[in-house]
Amino acid sequence: MAEWEPVLLANVHRPNSEKIGTYLAHGGYQALRKALSMSPEAVVAEVKASGLRGRGGAGFPTGVKWGFLPPDAPVKYLAVNTDEGEPGTFKDRLIVERDPHAILEGVIIAAYAIGAHRAFVYIRGEFFLGVKRWIKAIADAYQHGFLGKDILGSGFDLDVSVHRGAGAYICGEETAMLESLEGKRGQPRLKPPYPAQVGLWGRPTIVQNVETLANVPHIILRGAAWYASIGTEQSKGPKIFCVSGHVNRPGNYELPLGTPLREIIEKYAGGVRYGRHIKAVIPGGVSTPMLTARQIDVPMAFETLAAAGSALGTGAVIVMDETTDMVEVARRITDFFVHESCGACVPCRLGGFRMLERLEAIARGRGRPDDLAKLESLARGISGLTFCPLGTGMCEPVLSGLALYRDEFVARLNTAAKR
Amino acid sequence: MPDQVTLTIDDVKVTVPAGTLVVDAAKAAGIDIPVFCSHPKLDPLGACRMCLVEFVGSRGSRLDTACTVRVAEGMAVRTNTEQVKAVREANLGFILINHPLDCPICDKGGECPLQDQTMAYGPGVSQFVEPKRHKNKRYPISDLILLDQERCILCWRCIRYLEEWEDKPQLGLFERGGETMIDTFPGQPVDAKTSGSIIDICPVGALTNRVARFRYRPWELKKTPSVCNHCPVGCNLRLDERVHALRRIVARENMAVNDEWICDKGRFVHQFVDHPERLKKPLVRDAQRGTLREATWDEALDRVVEKLGALVEANGPNTVGGIASPRVSNEAAYLFQKFFRALVGTNNVDFAGGSAVRAWPTGLSAITDIARSDLIVLVGFDPSEAAPLLAVHIKRVVLRKGAKLLIIHPRRIELAKYPGAYLPVLPGNEAALLGELAAAVQASKGVRGQEARGKQAARNPQSPGPGPQYPDVVALLAAAKSPLFIYGPDVARGERGRATVAALLNLATALGQGDKLAYIGAGANEQGVRDMGLLPDTLPGYAPVSDAAVRERLGKLWGLQPPAEAGQTCARMIGGGVKGLFVMGDNLAALPAVAEALRKLDFLVVQDLFLTETAQLADVVLPACSFAEADGTYTNLERRVQRGPQGIRAVGESKADWAILTALAEKWLAAEGRGDRSGVAPAAAPELPDWKRKKRKAKTGPAAKPWNYPTAQSVLEEIGKAVPFYATMRWEALGEGGLQWSARDLRVGVRDSGLSNTQSPTSNPRPGEFLLVSSPLFWDASLFMQYAADQVRQLIPAPFVALNPADLATAKLAEGSQMTLTSPHGSVILTLKADASVQPGTVWIPATLPGLPAETLGGGRGEPISVVVR
Ligand SMILES: Cc1cc2nc3c(=O)[nH]c(=O)nc-3n(C[C@H](O)[C@H](O)[C@H](O)COP(=O)(O)O)c2cc1C
Ligand code: SF4
Ligand code: SF4
Ligand code: FES
Repeated sequence: MAEWEPVLLANVHRPNSEKIGTYLAHGGYQALRKALSMSPEAVVAEVKASGLRGRGGAGFPTGVKWGFLPPDAPVKYLAVNTDEGEPGTFKDRLIVERDPHAILEGVIIAAYAIGAHRAFVYIRGEFFLGVKRWIKAIADAYQHGFLGKDILGSGFDLDVSVHRGAGAYICGEETAMLESLEGKRGQPRLKPPYPAQVGLWGRPTIVQNVETLANVPHIILRGAAWYASIGTEQSKGPKIFCVSGHVNRPGNYELPLGTPLREIIEKYAGGVRYGRHIKAVIPGGVSTPMLTARQIDVPMAFETLAAAGSALGTGAVIVMDETTDMVEVARRITDFFVHESCGACVPCRLGGFRMLERLEAIARGRGRPDDLAKLESLARGISGLTFCPLGTGMCEPVLSGLALYRDEFVARLNTAAKR
Repeated sequence: MPDQVTLTIDDVKVTVPAGTLVVDAAKAAGIDIPVFCSHPKLDPLGACRMCLVEFVGSRGSRLDTACTVRVAEGMAVRTNTEQVKAVREANLGFILINHPLDCPICDKGGECPLQDQTMAYGPGVSQFVEPKRHKNKRYPISDLILLDQERCILCWRCIRYLEEWEDKPQLGLFERGGETMIDTFPGQPVDAKTSGSIIDICPVGALTNRVARFRYRPWELKKTPSVCNHCPVGCNLRLDERVHALRRIVARENMAVNDEWICDKGRFVHQFVDHPERLKKPLVRDAQRGTLREATWDEALDRVVEKLGALVEANGPNTVGGIASPRVSNEAAYLFQKFFRALVGTNNVDFAGGSAVRAWPTGLSAITDIARSDLIVLVGFDPSEAAPLLAVHIKRVVLRKGAKLLIIHPRRIELAKYPGAYLPVLPGNEAALLGELAAAVQASKGVRGQEARGKQAARNPQSPGPGPQYPDVVALLAAAKSPLFIYGPDVARGERGRATVAALLNLATALGQGDKLAYIGAGANEQGVRDMGLLPDTLPGYAPVSDAAVRERLGKLWGLQPPAEAGQTCARMIGGGVKGLFVMGDNLAALPAVAEALRKLDFLVVQDLFLTETAQLADVVLPACSFAEADGTYTNLERRVQRGPQGIRAVGESKADWAILTALAEKWLAAEGRGDRSGVAPAAAPELPDWKRKKRKAKTGPAAKPWNYPTAQSVLEEIGKAVPFYATMRWEALGEGGLQWSARDLRVGVRDSGLSNTQSPTSNPRPGEFLLVSSPLFWDASLFMQYAADQVRQLIPAPFVALNPADLATAKLAEGSQMTLTSPHGSVILTLKADASVQPGTVWIPATLPGLPAETLGGGRGEPISVVVR
């Protein structure tokens, strides 16, 4: 395959890339002009035809989601998910900080397509620079007539405002995000109804990830056929992979979906540090099951990763070399999830906390002989049974850790027994 | 979508209405799915994960929560697979991880869903040896409810109840993850008036009743289905008794009345029943010492017969009379008026707020009509303070069905925040305002009618009438398809009240909804005591005393006919109209002016639970049972006759009202010659005292039939003969849900047709003067509150007067300062409060505050009272 020419990250390395002038100088807001000349239905059809799937983790087809909006609803909203909380993921932050107009253009096109006149940007509270960049970008867009009343003479109105979260991972989950936007405690809502039916303040609402929206202007400008020619059968377009862990060159790499995991690690991220071997890879953020070294030829696409027993998730690749302590990995990740559990449902709230208790004991060499059985039974009582995917995600490091590296856990227990 | 859906649950085919939740469908199929967060009266949530079941589909089976998934045609559900069992065990295990298991000392123990489900579905042994987490076990969320955060399983039922039924999001989840707990918002305890409902629906013992906690073990209780005696809604509740003490009160479902909720008065205010200060023996005034001393029933009743009889003998029957409370049972009210009408021979019977109110006596068409209405007009009536369950029903129809409220009240009452309109009105101006509205509605209809009738109208030009002053309100009224009009005692008293009621009737009639006009009284059994004829001018069943046919019919039933001329009203009797008075269950003398008047009586009998201010003035005090100790029926504001069976042994020697009256009547009849009064109008033989004239006729004239009532049920049987529309109200027939009498059965009209608004509007108060508003407050200083448990008594507010902040500023008055308020009727010293809900130019002193300040100033008289604040 020829070297991929970045599309989403084309601007981020330019000086002053965040400025509207820079964006305009490199073809910015051309897609918006084109979209406004199309009918909203045509825009939706184009996005649908492109095969774009959500980049926030769930991978739901974006155009299909837009089609779910009740057409006769008087008020609809667009909510932009900039919460990016999944450990290992740092792609949205890069775009927001370095190329906010790319997202904003996608926001305006999406709002036009779905008939929303109000868009809400929900941004992770710790993204201090990102908040500033979002606000500045929005202000500049108003100045240039890309936002406000009668955008570019099209008759279409749109207002956008920015809301900061208070630092809860769960607020990245779309319905918890809506609760938080409404000023309530961030915890997921019962689905159905889905946000596209009953969303923010009861209005039909489309929630979209930042990276997803950044794809939209390119689809409009270059056409769905071009977009659909990139990637695999069920995974179209370019994707930003966030590579972290024991690699020589961690960072964001934009590549077509379907690029093999090995290529991403070895070719782009510079391989494993100190020439060591890979022990395990988390391919899509810590909620996705681990892969072993033997599995790294898998193409990074929704369908192929699912077949490998994991998931594409956010495309956050965490590489662990042979020196990695898998008990500590499970403990550390579980600690994160337990800390981030919203506390609304029983298995996640109570089971998670007991799982962590056992993991901490094992990691400290104070495990008991039946702890692995206990851990497994705890995880089985949680996984798939929780109100939202957070609780289920919490069990992945434990379940795949135990399945793939059980001997490490056993060894830790044995040291405990000897003491 | 088809109306009915068929699905299979564990191979059982079941057909249920579309939209049913799978848990409910399973219930219909006789299959139990364990739940914690799910509750039939609350929106689905799916938080506890207890109800996970398998849904079998073409692509294999998946687990989902039965409490959130709605049925679909052909759906296949499995609740008994190994997987489901394992999931339940795991989940119960999780719940029990931190649950303190203090079942032996927990109020819920024995009736706890968590216990039951652990037994049915839980793991046999605990997997965990780790210490449990500790949280606050005695956390007050209000003065009445304690939260045990360790026991709480975070099902959100309490949160959801307050949100979905009360529209008061006063509880929430705080902290996150394993630290999550229920809490109130800082400085904002739960104050919803039906807050105690959350104790009933909590699936564990996390929420406890501060009045009742640790006073019972559920399995030891004797449970009696009863009705509440606090307000005219007549909520269904249960009396839980053990060793002759009323341990607690919980709600009982009656979908026609209170759904599954009761208010906090109904639940928490019951200590008066077994209060140590209850009267346990009759008292008589000692001739020598002049003080009250204990006596036997015989002595006390003999004294009543002797003294009342002597007064009657000396001065005629119209010099004695009786005032009863509108809380007493139908049986008590019926026998009370029968005693005076048939035995004494006078129509001098009434109750406070009785004859003073000229109300169409059929109450609300049906409580369930609230849920069907699209506009509720509230005139001078504040359901939130006076009848909280009505407020709950009203909020529900507003929130769930988009009904609107039109509120006409001197104060911006709590419900005024909902969509619709709020029209502030000065006290006394209601009739004028309603008149204008009725005219405007007529005029707007006229316009529409003219368009329809075309030329005909043009030939017959009528004066256009007053233009619509309140276009929005008129539009609101005109758009309503099923409105309800509700008014209360505050706007129905006296002459002004007559005018207001007439204007309201005009308005409702103009909208073609004359039968949707409801008067809601203050007393718990106000409807019933009116039905029973506890009024000086109407007989049982509402016939006027002048109705000879009804008098004759009653004469046949009683042996003696009631007199034909109307008796004295409550106010007249108190104001010197009688020499002998029998007061049953009302503490009239709490108001010093009334006490003064009662001191002038020659003879006063008081029948009550306590040695009230009134009883202290009495010559004979008869100890009565509370509603919990005696069988009786009560008729609520929608004419539903409900049973209140005895739930606890009578305190001391106290007796049921009806039994006391029966015993008294027996003695009265036994006393020589006293059963032989003919029904002849006393005016016929002026030369002889009434009493003696009758006595002479003893051998030949009609005689009172003996009072043979072994039980309250036998009284009810006679009521069925006296009051035509009670004919079917047999004790057994009433069942546990009660029976409504049909408003259509009430043929005798008391509707004053010719009423018009002859009252001049209240003028705006002069500077420095304010108009008195004395609408009720939920937590007041009424008698039962005074004898309530400590936790409840502390809710009685210190007496206060509330003014609009702007008025306070103009008058340079400081909040919290003590001011003297003076009206033509009296003067009181009160603490000032600023309250934006109070209209400028008015002062709000709620009714029945300690010391009765509003009543002292003349509140509740049905006339505008001007008050000077100094
Ligand atoms: C626990 C949890 C956390 C999530 N966090 C994020 C997040 O930080 N950012 C994000 O875009 N989506 C997040 N999601 C996914 C969102 O729920 C949602 O699917 C997404 O915003 C939809 O946008 P997309 O279709 O463009 O991906 C999260 C989901 C879950 C279950
Ligand atoms: S799984 Fe965890 S995060 Fe999700 S709803 Fe349940 S408690 Fe909240
Ligand atoms: S207090 Fe009771 S009702 Fe409220 S959440 Fe806890 S267990 Fe549920
Ligand atoms: S009962 Fe269904 S999740 Fe709680």
